[in-house]
Amino acid sequence: MIQHLIKLIWNRKGSHLLLIIEIWASFMVLFGVMSLVTFNLDNYRESLGFEYEQVWAIDLSRNQDTVQTAEKLAQVLQRIKAYPEVEKVSQMSSNSPFSFSQMNSSISRKKTSTLSDIYYTDENFEDVFDIKMKSGRWYQSSDSVAKNKPVVINQKTADALFGTENPIGKTLDDNKVVVGVIDNFKAKGEFTKNEPAFFQLMWPRSEEGKIVLKLKSGTDANFEAKLVKDLGSMLVGWTVEVSYLTDQRQNQHNLALVPMIVFTIIAGFLLLNVAMGLFGILKVNIAKRREEIGVRRAMGATETDIQKQFVAEMWVIATFAILVGLLFAVQFPTLKVFDLASGVYWVAIVLAILIIYGLVTICAFYPSRQAAKIQPAIVLHES
Amino acid sequence: MLLNYIKIAWKVLLRHPFYTFITLFGISITLTVLMMITSFLDHLVGSHYPEQNRDKSLYIMNLFLEDSARTSQMGGPISYDFYKKYIETLKTPKRTSVSSMITSANSYINGKRIKVSTKYCDTNFWEITNYEFLEGKPFNQTNIANGDHVVVITDAMREQFFDSSSESVIGKMVEVDNEKYKVIGVVKAGPVTRILTFSDMFFPYNLPKSNYQRTGLQGTFVAIIEANSSSDFPEIKSEFDNNVSKIPVPINIGNTKYTIIDTHAQTYTDTMLYGVFHQEIGNKFYIVVGLVLLMLMGLPAINLVNLNVSRILERASEIGVRKAFGAPTRTLAFQFIVENIFITFIGGAIALIITSVGIYLFNRSGLILYSDLTINLPVFGVSLLVCLVFGLLSGVAPAFRMAKMKVIDALKRQ
Repeated sequence: MIQHLIKLIWNRKGSHLLLIIEIWASFMVLFGVMSLVTFNLDNYRESLGFEYEQVWAIDLSRNQDTVQTAEKLAQVLQRIKAYPEVEKVSQMSSNSPFSFSQMNSSISRKKTSTLSDIYYTDENFEDVFDIKMKSGRWYQSSDSVAKNKPVVINQKTADALFGTENPIGKTLDDNKVVVGVIDNFKAKGEFTKNEPAFFQLMWPRSEEGKIVLKLKSGTDANFEAKLVKDLGSMLVGWTVEVSYLTDQRQNQHNLALVPMIVFTIIAGFLLLNVAMGLFGILKVNIAKRREEIGVRRAMGATETDIQKQFVAEMWVIATFAILVGLLFAVQFPTLKVFDLASGVYWVAIVLAILIIYGLVTICAFYPSRQAAKIQPAIVLHES
Repeated sequence: MLLNYIKIAWKVLLRHPFYTFITLFGISITLTVLMMITSFLDHLVGSHYPEQNRDKSLYIMNLFLEDSARTSQMGGPISYDFYKKYIETLKTPKRTSVSSMITSANSYINGKRIKVSTKYCDTNFWEITNYEFLEGKPFNQTNIANGDHVVVITDAMREQFFDSSSESVIGKMVEVDNEKYKVIGVVKAGPVTRILTFSDMFFPYNLPKSNYQRTGLQGTFVAIIEANSSSDFPEIKSEFDNNVSKIPVPINIGNTKYTIIDTHAQTYTDTMLYGVFHQEIGNKFYIVVGLVLLMLMGLPAINLVNLNVSRILERASEIGVRKAFGAPTRTLAFQFIVENIFITFIGGAIALIITSVGIYLFNRSGLILYSDLTINLPVFGVSLLVCLVFGLLSGVAPAFRMAKMKVIDALKRQ
């Protein structure tokens, strides 16, 4: 059957070549868009690893003020803690979650190393973001006097450095000791990859960076205005900027979503275009083959047989096109282009194949049904 | 005769509304996508308000420090000090200006927070950019010398901060980040995508919060150099490179010795891409964009060719009759060319309408703050031409084959 179909197609290879090129091009476009979509959705499935809803970040910059900045900052932290609206407060480096600031460095142990995001935080960080410990504990301010500086890592860093070993209590190359492990930490939002993360006690407290605070629910912008005014009078000449983590998360999301939506819309239009074109071409082609259909019907083929033949022919053509497309597409997972996990590409390939077959079937269905309805007597009489 | 061809083409279009729809849909959507993308690119890199001098300007945005082994790298905007020493002293440019990278600050009015983008700039900034002053004037050297707390705001900010009454806001105070400033000018806002000149508020560069006193090569500033014409670019570039080469190395920061100072005066596109790819891209960028556009065009074009090739047989009897009455091949081919041009122009007209609506909606949507996308007419022309070529390819090649057909075969077909 298939052999026969291939023979039929081969006999009309001239006109089918263009069809194959068209389906191949659609496959490539679909593969590209699906890779992007799969990558984003794959990331989205993984949990964030922290809570952000009631959290604000205050960006402090001391500008040209150099007088007793550390003391001023300590006072500010005390003052913020004293507000009844504030539940928890913590100081950290400028790369707070969802911010556009990033800090990374290579962390090594024995002969393995991994590029990891570095966060300097104080002991309250865990409470502000409601981070669940997977094992061990978060560091305390009392740890600052310890000989080996304590650090907390996420599971991704633990996997890279320790494999299956239990990392708690082990030291790293620069004599830091791991005291706790947390699960995911996707600081740039749900659509980003879960990267290795590394938390270190901020000691001595930095004179710049950010203050993150968790508020009681129901706190509004009036408190924010009051807070900024109070801080402004304590920190003359400093820049004080409050942002909500929910807003910053939205910005990060837009960064991932806007390209995805734009490409999906463009690809959608292209495919609609192709689908309508295929539909038209099939209609014309089938109309040209009325005699052949008439003969087959006269020889006893049922309506379903005719319909099956045309749909199957399209499938064979689509398969040719996809095979050519696969030659290009498999280069991506094997060569690890753009440094994506190869699984993303494979899923994208499968999705693209499914969509192509779906599209082709839909386009072939109606014209082939019309073809099946042809009355042999009329057609054979015409010729 | 031409009118007759167009009449025939029109009748052919009406005979199969479905196929007509597919063809027109293909042409117009392809053109729309092309025009939207190119108008967006033009919005990003072209010379538009407030940077109408962009095509004769060079930018110095990034300065990278590298150690000799090229293992450690530190990149970022330049410092005011660097501008003062190595850029302001350039002799070839018409003028130079320094302004800070955009920062943001908060302002509170009646319990409502306003997020304000802030920029610190010198007086030349107002010469190099073409900001249109709706009220007041820019700050001048006297303001700078006195260290006045003055600010130029955009019309959008005027609406946010002051009641929309028609009285002038010049001389009124705005409070940003716990400090009060006197408004001395109101400008029409520019789009947020022009990141080197966009801001909601502009302050004199020597206010303390701009951190202009910071020493070292790196800071928060960007320099814009306006040349007399773009033919001066090579000279300005080499003069700047020469200045940079005089900076004593190594520079010690922390434990690292940086020996390579990598900073260049570049055109706008190069400046933006240099930060990402860290090498001069130049025309390669446009080649890549062109290839992507070609890919986008390719699919509908193949589709069109396919459909036309399949459908040309429909016209066999017509060709047969015309040939039997003595029409030469040339005339028939010409007829099909006219038909294709006609269809392409209809598609183009539809695309123009869709694009206008799309761009209008996009500008209104606020996806890009104060965006001012326009239909790029040269681009529209080129896309139309490309579409025409594909239309001709798909229509004419089969038409020629048909036109050469023996009369008897053509007539027999139906």
